[in-house]
Amino acid sequence: MIEIDALTKVYGQAQAPAVDEVSLRVPAGSVFGFLGPNGAGKTTTIKMLAGLLTPTSGEVRLGGFDVARQRPAAMAQFGAVLEGSRNVYWSLSAWQNLMYFGRLKGLRKARVAERARDLLTGLGLWDRRDDKVGGFSRGMQQKVAIAAALIADPPIVLLDEPTLGLDVEATRTVKNWITEQSRELGTTVLLTTHQLDVAQELCDRVAVMRRGRLVADLPTRELLAGFRERDRYEIRVEGTVPPGFEAVTREGVTTISVRVSDPGEVYEVVARLRAHGAVLESLTQVQPDLEDVFLALVNEPSHAA
Amino acid sequence: MLLDVLRAEIGKGLRVQLAHPVGHVITLLISTMMYLGLQFVLGQGELRQDLLPRTLVAIGGYWFLQYAALVMVADLIEEKRAGTFAQAQMTPAPPWLPMLGRLITASVFGLAVAAVAALVPMLVAGIAIPLRWAALLPAVLLGVNVLAFTFLLAAVALVAPAIGALQSLLTSLVLLLNGSFLPLALYPDWLAALARILPTTLGVEAITQTLFEGRTLGELWRGGTLPWLLAHTLALIAAAGLLFVRNHRRSLEELS
Repeated sequence: MIEIDALTKVYGQAQAPAVDEVSLRVPAGSVFGFLGPNGAGKTTTIKMLAGLLTPTSGEVRLGGFDVARQRPAAMAQFGAVLEGSRNVYWSLSAWQNLMYFGRLKGLRKARVAERARDLLTGLGLWDRRDDKVGGFSRGMQQKVAIAAALIADPPIVLLDEPTLGLDVEATRTVKNWITEQSRELGTTVLLTTHQLDVAQELCDRVAVMRRGRLVADLPTRELLAGFRERDRYEIRVEGTVPPGFEAVTREGVTTISVRVSDPGEVYEVVARLRAHGAVLESLTQVQPDLEDVFLALVNEPSHAA
Repeated sequence: MLLDVLRAEIGKGLRVQLAHPVGHVITLLISTMMYLGLQFVLGQGELRQDLLPRTLVAIGGYWFLQYAALVMVADLIEEKRAGTFAQAQMTPAPPWLPMLGRLITASVFGLAVAAVAALVPMLVAGIAIPLRWAALLPAVLLGVNVLAFTFLLAAVALVAPAIGALQSLLTSLVLLLNGSFLPLALYPDWLAALARILPTTLGVEAITQTLFEGRTLGELWRGGTLPWLLAHTLALIAAAGLLFVRNHRRSLEELS
């Protein structure tokens, strides 16, 4: 479990805090998405979780251990992949990297070797274990970085933009792996990403930050449901539509977007279309995706969770 | 657990360094050729056997310092740039332990280069250096002196990646003044006093006094060389420790 209480970080003489009174609970075994535009404070928060930055105020507990006061125990609770850095040594092989990072976490050599074998096999890197990581593709390097974060089998994994710059196949592998870690092994995963489809697919719960503050912290389904536009419908028809509708025609199919004050009005709209000779293909209530929600949250000046 | 972390850090450091062996071989060749060439020029066309043993001890100290500092500082700056430094901080071990591992790695390479680079002139020019037990303590203190200075440079490098220029200046001064060109006894008093402020000089002076003048440790103590060497080394250790404590946290803040 990750517990963050009133976490604040002010850099030097900066007027505005980079992270401002953020409080969060990430339940054990869940995948938690930490979203926000550039400069929102996500990476600063991750670095405070990882003990790399000292908070100006507030507390962080990983697996029940206070990062500031119980640092050695807290450091044993997590592995991390940080954004914008190599994370692993390019002049060492995948095997040597995992052995190093495992022992750095305080594990015995034999235990690390066993775990490294499992991880490299699971990631399809076993045959390349003795090759230098510098010669790997970006996707393979990221796999090694994630394996290094998991080498000590920590209960918590912090992933800062884990799929950034990866191709479709590598992204799929990383996503599958995150799901497996959480669902099957009970690992708590906190991930930041700008790829909202990734967050929507993986995360049980999502928090959105803006200008250092949390503007939402809800289970993904609830967050999406909260933004469902109950009064907006999308109707697809074949043929022409009467004047007065917002319509887009592509390859013979016309899509109409209508807003209604009462669901019963939808029947009237369909009747008008039918009377005009249009053939109904589909009718759906508009479901927002995480991107819509995210944009709404970061663009609305006073939206709060 | 601490020992495991230390071993892991040393093992990683050695592997990273050995991944590029050509650079080390070239450094060795340059070091040896530079020394013999300088002594040939200073000896006005000959290698003077009265100067070679003393200057070889001094340049051995310089090589140790120069190479250990190069490995330690360059490695640290590269890791900070690449991001592996931040990863290495997420350990249950105290932050000074990985740094100690780096220092041990640097000292292994520094000593190896100094030993091999010194061996070549000894074989080529037939330089004989007498071995005496009394030189052991000054040699150990010289080693600690060099490593404390290396750690101090690394502590500065944590927050000042542009330390390269300062490092070059200081190590060049050591090469010029610690007795690598001419024995310290041939310097004017003011220059010798200035030279003694630099790392290695007092250690080299103490070693050469025991090896070539037959002085005992008691005589070195009474003469002031040993107490000054001890004080110099302790001062470097204290400065390096304080700077590390001050700069380590700041260096992580700067990574953000």
